[in-house]
Amino acid sequence: MKTFKRLTYPYMLWITAMIVIPMLLIVIYALTKQGNDVATLQFTLDNFIHFFTDADFLSTLWLSLKIACITTILCILIGYPIAYLIAASTPAKRNLYILLITLPMWINMLVRTYAWIGILSDNGLVNHVLQFFGIEPQKLLYTDFAVILGMVYNFIPFMILQIEASLAKLDRSLLDAANDLGADRLQRFLKVTLPLSLPGVISGITLVFLPAVSSFVIPKLMGGGAYMLIGNVIENQFITVGEWNFGSAISMIMACIIMISMYITRKLDKSDDAVSRKRGKV
Amino acid sequence: MEMIEMNEAKRLIEFKNIVKDFDGQLVLKGISLDIYENEFVTLLGPSGCGKTTLLRILAGFLKQNEGRVIFDGEEISELPPYKRELNTVFQKYALFPHMNVYENIAFGLKIKKMSKDVIEQKVMKMLKLINLEGFEQRNVTLLSGGQQQRIAIARALVNEPKVLLLDEPLAALDLKLRKEMQYELKRIQQEVGITFIYVTHDQEEALTMSDKIVVMKDGEIQQVGTPTDIYNEPQNRYVANFIGESNIISGIMRKDKLVRFDDMDFECVDIGFKENEPVDVVIRPEDLDIVAQDGGKMNGVVKSVLFKGVHYEIMVETVPGTTVSVKMNVTKEHDVASSDAKERISANHFFVDLEDVKDLNDAEIIARADAQAWDPENDEYLSISKIEYELKEEVGNYPVTFSTVLGTAVTVNIMVVEQKYVENPKKNEAISAFNFFKSVDEIKESVALDTDLKTWANAQGWKLSDESSVEIEDVEYDFDPDTITPGVYQVTFSTKGRVFKVHTTDIAEEGAEIALNFYSEDIHVMSKIGY
Repeated sequence: MKTFKRLTYPYMLWITAMIVIPMLLIVIYALTKQGNDVATLQFTLDNFIHFFTDADFLSTLWLSLKIACITTILCILIGYPIAYLIAASTPAKRNLYILLITLPMWINMLVRTYAWIGILSDNGLVNHVLQFFGIEPQKLLYTDFAVILGMVYNFIPFMILQIEASLAKLDRSLLDAANDLGADRLQRFLKVTLPLSLPGVISGITLVFLPAVSSFVIPKLMGGGAYMLIGNVIENQFITVGEWNFGSAISMIMACIIMISMYITRKLDKSDDAVSRKRGKV
Repeated sequence: MEMIEMNEAKRLIEFKNIVKDFDGQLVLKGISLDIYENEFVTLLGPSGCGKTTLLRILAGFLKQNEGRVIFDGEEISELPPYKRELNTVFQKYALFPHMNVYENIAFGLKIKKMSKDVIEQKVMKMLKLINLEGFEQRNVTLLSGGQQQRIAIARALVNEPKVLLLDEPLAALDLKLRKEMQYELKRIQQEVGITFIYVTHDQEEALTMSDKIVVMKDGEIQQVGTPTDIYNEPQNRYVANFIGESNIISGIMRKDKLVRFDDMDFECVDIGFKENEPVDVVIRPEDLDIVAQDGGKMNGVVKSVLFKGVHYEIMVETVPGTTVSVKMNVTKEHDVASSDAKERISANHFFVDLEDVKDLNDAEIIARADAQAWDPENDEYLSISKIEYELKEEVGNYPVTFSTVLGTAVTVNIMVVEQKYVENPKKNEAISAFNFFKSVDEIKESVALDTDLKTWANAQGWKLSDESSVEIEDVEYDFDPDTITPGVYQVTFSTKGRVFKVHTTDIAEEGAEIALNFYSEDIHVMSKIGY
């Protein structure tokens, strides 16, 4: 066993160099004053106080959470029916559909987002079509709508794949049993299929909400240069303003929010999870 | 007249000529079956016989291609499962893992929007029926198989169906629990007084629980009857074999109440067959008694005795198998080396029957002579590139020469003879084998000596009536293969004799000469089936 243990050393080294040390640096930066050198660290909570006392930052945080929540809810509402239809089709078709869902992910996210800019811009595809029907051109790009559209478009495959996976492993005989006990299709869905697919929905939420709440490329492109979500604020602090300490503090606040939300989803997932794990063994 | 009407059980389900295929494969070939009220009916058959398919058609999960299902006087083929007045207990229980015991049992009642207190009353009554009171809040996934099984039964029964369908419900339980559940199920059925349709492949389960057994095979019904009917009066060889243990012998019905098998006539009670009609005869192992030699209907020798707990299972051979002995000529090494010693080649003399000479070809000759060439350096086989021989369809010796590409050659004799064979009219069979030549090494290197001996001697058995082949069961020889030296040895091949399985509480010595006795009513004669 000892010889095998040794094989993990390079990996440990990698983790230390690439994850642990940068994380520690963020913590140190967040808790210190600007202009310190390594020898004379001056610890302070000013960076955090600054964030929580500034109404602009707080409203940006609120907007980020709101946009991420809307994105997640839309992903569930649109993704669940799609996942359900995929899971219900024959294996050959299922593989095709899953390929189609994952296919866009082979292309760089920036390119896909730029494509949306072309579609939504003032003289883009959508407005051309509207004009054709005699409707006034609408301002679509650089709005909340555009940002949410970009996020839903980019993150929905994760939701679909998670829900589809949990629907696909659903035991058919449970559906037969529900039918047998008098449930019609709708009752069967509400009482058996939906509750048993919740673990998939919850891991889908994790996979969509987390990147959505900290995303900065999509709001930058789809929301325009002035559109600020918390991810953009952090980016600004590091790249434009040069306030590494304050940027680190916001990153830490975001990390805490993400950890709390993960804890909550875990908690929600727990009961269902225990059940599905038990079933897996049987 | 009215009295008879009242006594007659009401017909509840009628299957009318049900046909079902899956992707062109016929699974049900026109099943017609009536099921009555309050019956415990078992659909019995091996996996793939269509029993579960029939059940799923009745439950509404599958739709038949042809035929009608009539339930309580109404055609229900178009009715979806949730509108049918029956419930199913699934093979792997199919309990809802996200609900506790109470919620599982209450599922059907909640769907029917019954009031809370009525639901609670009914669920509690069910828990009492299945002896699981106090389990309401338990997680179903943490219960034992037997408990899950009973919850599944309660979940179905609480809906007060007219029929309960059970799809191999005990298959996943261990033996002891299965036996307990058999009684439990029968008790529950009698207590609630509804029709149970039970699917199983376990004949013992079927015999224990059923009022009526439906034996199925390949999508067809073989026999319908009470357990005693099915056991005592099986309609054919298949049913007799599937239900309980049995000795089945081919025979001929001489006339009413007289059957002939193993070259002897026996009185029986069966009538209605054609004169000299070929039939199958069943004698159950427990109907045979072992008595002193010449004191019974057939003399025999005890071949083996097995202790089975309540009884002994004794195999008695009444007609010995057919036997033939041949001589095996064992020589030392007989391989030939090439001049540069780079190659070795070997082959055996062999005998062949005059009648078979015309069937000999190169490949056959190589196989029969066991001709082999190899490189002694690395033991790799080399191909034999040339065979030279001249054969006539006359008795005599004919040399044959095998050679490799490099010209290393060996010559052996093909000995054409008129082979005698041993006939055994009592068992309607014959057996033949040839003397043969082998080297010490070949015998020592054999990994399956019995099989090799059969091949080397070309031992064959066949039926006298239709020349179909008869397996050679026994190979005996008078040498020890590990220490064999050159010389001549005897090898004896024999077919299996007529062996009767006897279940008795009296022990008999292995090898004892005894007789078997039975009563004429213990013989059950069946028509042959056409496969």
